[in-house]
Amino acid sequence: MIKKVGITVRYSVLGYLLGEGFRNVFKNKKSTGASLIIMCATMLIFGLFFVIGENVNYIMEEVEAQQGMQVFLNKDATEEQIQQAGEQIRAIDYVATAQYVSKEDALNSLKERFGENGDLLNGYYEKNPLKPSYVVTLTDLEQSDNVYAQIKQLDNVSNIEVRDKTIDALIGVANGIRIVSGVILILLIVISIFIIANTIKLTVHARRKEISIMKYVGATNGFIRWPFIVEGIIIGVISAMISIVLLGVSYNFAIDKLLDSSVATMVSFNLLTFSDMFALVLTVYLILGIGIGVIGSAISMRKYLEV
Amino acid sequence: MIEFRNVSKTYETGTEAVNNANFVIEKGEFAFLVGPSGSGKSTLIKMILKEENPTSGNIIINGKDTTFLKPKRVPYLRRSMGVVFQDFRLLPDKTVYDNVAFAMYIVRATPKHIRRQVPMVLSLVGLSGKAKMYPNELSGGEQQRVALARALVNNPSMLIADEPTGNLDPDTAWDIMTLLNDINMRGTTVVIATHAKDIVDQMKKRVIQIEKGVIVRDDKKGGYNSEV
Repeated sequence: MIKKVGITVRYSVLGYLLGEGFRNVFKNKKSTGASLIIMCATMLIFGLFFVIGENVNYIMEEVEAQQGMQVFLNKDATEEQIQQAGEQIRAIDYVATAQYVSKEDALNSLKERFGENGDLLNGYYEKNPLKPSYVVTLTDLEQSDNVYAQIKQLDNVSNIEVRDKTIDALIGVANGIRIVSGVILILLIVISIFIIANTIKLTVHARRKEISIMKYVGATNGFIRWPFIVEGIIIGVISAMISIVLLGVSYNFAIDKLLDSSVATMVSFNLLTFSDMFALVLTVYLILGIGIGVIGSAISMRKYLEV
Repeated sequence: MIEFRNVSKTYETGTEAVNNANFVIEKGEFAFLVGPSGSGKSTLIKMILKEENPTSGNIIINGKDTTFLKPKRVPYLRRSMGVVFQDFRLLPDKTVYDNVAFAMYIVRATPKHIRRQVPMVLSLVGLSGKAKMYPNELSGGEQQRVALARALVNNPSMLIADEPTGNLDPDTAWDIMTLLNDINMRGTTVVIATHAKDIVDQMKKRVIQIEKGVIVRDDKKGGYNSEV
């Protein structure tokens, strides 16, 4: 009985397809090695931009939560007008919050800033020269100009102060990284597909006799193609695993160095740890690896399936 | 079973391989396709297997016109025919048993069916004792028997052989032809492209002769050359 089970396993279709795929991977050690190196290089370079991009996004989210603009209203605006302006501001798209700061609040915080000399300002409570204002935060900093223009048109608005000009620079950096990493990613994906297609082409070529026999006995193209797709997927998954380990080690190393150096004291932002990003990077790497593997093997098979 | 209606084939290179071929091979028939190299024999075989498509005309196999068969359906057409070549085309890294079983599991036969069918067909071609040997341990005749076993294992309704004795010495060639005849006796349609003159002459089977792409003779019980 045991023997019979053994034979059954030997000829199960799934087992055959997977087994052939694994066999292909280890038969062409050199070209499989070359594919792995190129795929890993692709993934590492992409991973570098990816983790930098993730950190910039993270910093921007933090900044977005605290930064916005301060909208000053006319000094002689009535309570009613102030309230109306607040409602109008909140109704604008991309406005997250609008917090009211009364003349008195403004004076109080000014006093606090003056510290011991704050009492000098006591006289101003009778005739407060400050303006009432709203502190506005945004859901998307890129819409800052748009929101600014809309608030500017409201009644009783005297002037608007955008709190931090560094936001613009940050948005520029983030967009730059996105574009550069996008272009590099596409370039590297094309190269990787080409290399992996060539690797699989070698196996296909080595097994062209088997393929032609399969075709003559009536194997469907899908059946012939599977072992080679499995080969591509295996190379992709192995590359993803190697890359994520290398990326993790070098990321942690770089972060440690950065925190030890004097730069750390100048930078007040928090950075992500690798474990924060692990699941995301792993998912992206697996999709990338499997995708490149499947497309590469499909390309390499095209010619041989025509007969 | 196999019908050619006004079939012509011109390759892209401009070579006119087959010119207006018409013939019908009935179910259970045994037919030789003879002619010198380059006469168009192989092209006829390739068109039956749908490896090549005719430039004009229709080919009807098992009652179905395969001329406009979708590429996706071609594997299923090929499952109805076994094929044997001059160069055997065995897989060197698989045993005799596995070479034959291979043809069954790529058409997704059940393991039970494979275990029953493979020994049966190996005994039919007289190789029961050599199931565990590799192709390079066998003689040419034995290798062609393995190829025959592989062609027959899925019980095709027809067997197509392209120069099956081309690489064999005369005695072995006769053994293979006798085996093909036995297979035909069991009800399988057999079509053989060959230029083995002696064999064709002695077997007194149907002969379709092709010269420069044109079918010049179709004798029910002929020899290699027509006796004028």
